[in-house]
Amino acid sequence: MEKFSKEYFRYLANQIMFDLSDQEIEELQEDFKTLTKQMELLDKIDTSNVDEMIYPFEEDTVYLREDVVNHEITQEEALQNAPLVKNKMIVVPKVVK
Amino acid sequence: MNFNDVKNKDIKTACEESLSLAKASQAKLNAVVSFVEVEQQVKELSNKNANSPLFGVPIVLKDNVSTKGILTSASSRILSNYIPIYDATITKKLKEAGAIVIAKSSMDELGMGGTNLNAYTGKVNNPYDVNRISGGSSGGSAALVAQGVVPFAIGTDTGDSVRKPASYCGIVGVKPTYGRISRYGIIPYASSLDHVGYFTTNVSDASSALEVLAGRDDLDMTSSNQEVQAYSKLLDSNVAGKKIAILVNVQEAIEDTTITNSFNHIMNTLKEKGAIVEEVRMNDDYMKALLPTYYVLSNAEATANHSNLDGVRFGVREEGADLVEIMINSRTKGFSSDVRKRFVIGSYSLHVDNQEKLYKKAQKVRRVIVDELKTIMNKYDVIVASSSGTIAPLPNQKCGEDLSVSHLVAENHMLLGNFSGFPSMSLPQVMVNKMPVGISVMAKAFDEVNMFNIAKAIEEITGLENIVVGGDE
Repeated sequence: MEKFSKEYFRYLANQIMFDLSDQEIEELQEDFKTLTKQMELLDKIDTSNVDEMIYPFEEDTVYLREDVVNHEITQEEALQNAPLVKNKMIVVPKVVK
Repeated sequence: MNFNDVKNKDIKTACEESLSLAKASQAKLNAVVSFVEVEQQVKELSNKNANSPLFGVPIVLKDNVSTKGILTSASSRILSNYIPIYDATITKKLKEAGAIVIAKSSMDELGMGGTNLNAYTGKVNNPYDVNRISGGSSGGSAALVAQGVVPFAIGTDTGDSVRKPASYCGIVGVKPTYGRISRYGIIPYASSLDHVGYFTTNVSDASSALEVLAGRDDLDMTSSNQEVQAYSKLLDSNVAGKKIAILVNVQEAIEDTTITNSFNHIMNTLKEKGAIVEEVRMNDDYMKALLPTYYVLSNAEATANHSNLDGVRFGVREEGADLVEIMINSRTKGFSSDVRKRFVIGSYSLHVDNQEKLYKKAQKVRRVIVDELKTIMNKYDVIVASSSGTIAPLPNQKCGEDLSVSHLVAENHMLLGNFSGFPSMSLPQVMVNKMPVGISVMAKAFDEVNMFNIAKAIEEITGLENIVVGGDE
């Protein structure tokens, strides 16, 4: 698949579960001309022997809490925003046919 | 409007007036997604903390802040029917402090934008010139404070999304240290860069508001255990001996001499008041790499964070023959064109072919940039620069060419605060053709005291305190 072709962008979009119109792909092709030039600016920076920075601070703020139930929600609350509910379950089309 | 204006009025009257102003300003600003009735909230004030600086103060929340029972759409179609079943931690804190929520404000969809042009409810207009943008992504909150509707509004800041609209709208915008304010219940954008921030009309209100918002929250495992300081009591504009660094990469990239001259005047006055003011320079290549690094990291993180928006368990569902088709249709129609295009950039960065040379490279570049920033920051109390190189642009008006320093550096340097997590704020610097431009102040991690104090000194020099547009045209 040719990089930055229509198929390529559609593939990238479908990988994360949405679609693009032909016009959107053309706009992306245009945007990527600038983006790739901007991304090339990263290559000017020497990162040999540098670790990735994942978060701003590396001191621990995370710990394992006691394994006790807290912060519960009811089934009704859990389903309150579901688009389609039947017998207290979220309804989708049959997966196994 | 500021906190004291409200304290001098009957609370119910002040909040009802504020709600009326918000409604009256909607035709002009288009800044509100949902109005919130105040009567019940005012009744519940009897068991709230009357000593809180926000007691009885009408406020606005950005529409990515979860509010139990109140629409929280993040200005996205896919969440345009989403009613949270819980309050964000900051919603709870603000309620406990006696703040009265009068509206949820418009934003760039899911926080992904810097213009507030890309909101499901449409463009937010700048209160000073409705043809111009408010800036984003927290544009609705900024516009409502600048208009004089409320003295306080919550925003979020992933890549200057509080500070840039604050600059364009002539108000104070604060992004405290990463982890200073809990993000539990905030609809995320990019978790390693996301901060809760807020708007006020003066530095004093900003310093007292952080006392209400800050603190460890076990529901947000990135929130900090560091002690919350008495920022308002410690507020002191005496700059004698304070070390202030001017980030010259930014000032050199600004073409507007009204902005650079007023900046120089402020710096000279700080010197006269005893501050040690020196110029510092970051590596130019690092400064130019800020925006592309941000594009790679933020869009990649957003792609992962928003994978749960699929129309199946919540949000707007589109029809489909099977589960996959439902998800694809819901996401295609649920996200705007702009957001899907940003997700494609994220998908591109995370693709196995690009992970090493783009995604991991950007994470390493982030460390290189932050390491240099830390080296400079260690020698100074604050680093300052003009928040933007221009006044609020017109929609689709470019601020410099895509690879120019005026675009890459002058318009995007506040990303330094998101990359490093250092506290950073913008306050009004100067009016240019009756349009405001801000000045940014960044301090060491968790040193909000110095940030507020030096901002206060700058505010005394500019005199641009409590300025709002007012009126209800």
